Amino acid sequence: MNNVKKTILLGLFVSQALILSIVESWIPVPAPVPGVKLGLANIITVITIIFFGFREALAVVFVRCVLSSIFGGGGWMLFLFSVTGGILSAAVMSLLYKSGRDKFSITGISIAGAISHNIGQILVAAFFMKDLAVAVVLPVLLISGCIMGFFVGLVSSFLEGALRKTRIFD
Amino acid sequence: MLKKGDLFIFGFVIILIAVSFFGVSLYKNSGKNTNKIAVIIKDNQEIQRIEIDAVNEPMEIMISGEYNDIILVEKGRIRFKEADCPDKVCVNTGWLTEKGDMAVCLPNKTMIKIEGQSSDVDIVTY
Repeated sequence: MNNVKKTILLGLFVSQALILSIVESWIPVPAPVPGVKLGLANIITVITIIFFGFREALAVVFVRCVLSSIFGGGGWMLFLFSVTGGILSAAVMSLLYKSGRDKFSITGISIAGAISHNIGQILVAAFFMKDLAVAVVLPVLLISGCIMGFFVGLVSSFLEGALRKTRIFD
Repeated sequence: MLKKGDLFIFGFVIILIAVSFFGVSLYKNSGKNTNKIAVIIKDNQEIQRIEIDAVNEPMEIMISGEYNDIILVEKGRIRFKEADCPDKVCVNTGWLTEKGDMAVCLPNKTMIKIEGQSSDVDIVTY
């Protein structure tokens, strides 16, 4: 794949991740604690890891977070909040993916990614509020992360099959 | 569709959930039979402590800064009533009533949490 094609595809991924995170913010999630999200943008992270790799996934996550905090508002704090979770989750997922497709399914990888995202966010919150007590929401976040990670994983594996058929990555 | 390594992920996740549940319930139960004190913290500085069970008249507390929050206190409970921050996570958290409950407004670096504090009278004997 040449560089121009790669740049265009990654740009498309960023825009789709951005759209997903904006659409996601319109969907109310009934949850007793803050921080529970659908994590739809994670679909794009998973797909980028599959077709490109860790560095590209990192770039997509970073640019998506920058743009979504510009469009969604919220300033530095919320940017740091989402970018830390995103980078941690991309790192964990790439690590698991590289260690062997025969070992882990996309669903399993996605669940691990969702949970690392939650843990990353708790760490940022604990750091800025200087209070480890923010971790009281962790159990609920972990469970919701499992459920959403499962569905994100399903969607990603369907999407992977569909994208492979299009042969745009050859 | 699931593979062998997934079992490790699931096992790890289940252990993590169990440990965190255990830790949180330990934390929440550590201060039974104590007064519930709501602590309001802004920029890592405590600005007010309120014994929420002793509040009889509802009152509002204004927090101003980069964004503005209005905190509402009633008997036995406290919440972010209004905020002009973009994400409104703090308002959506709703009422805080139990020890260990907390609501955080990250954009404004404001936090309300409920702490337990031993009451002044430990035992009453007749």
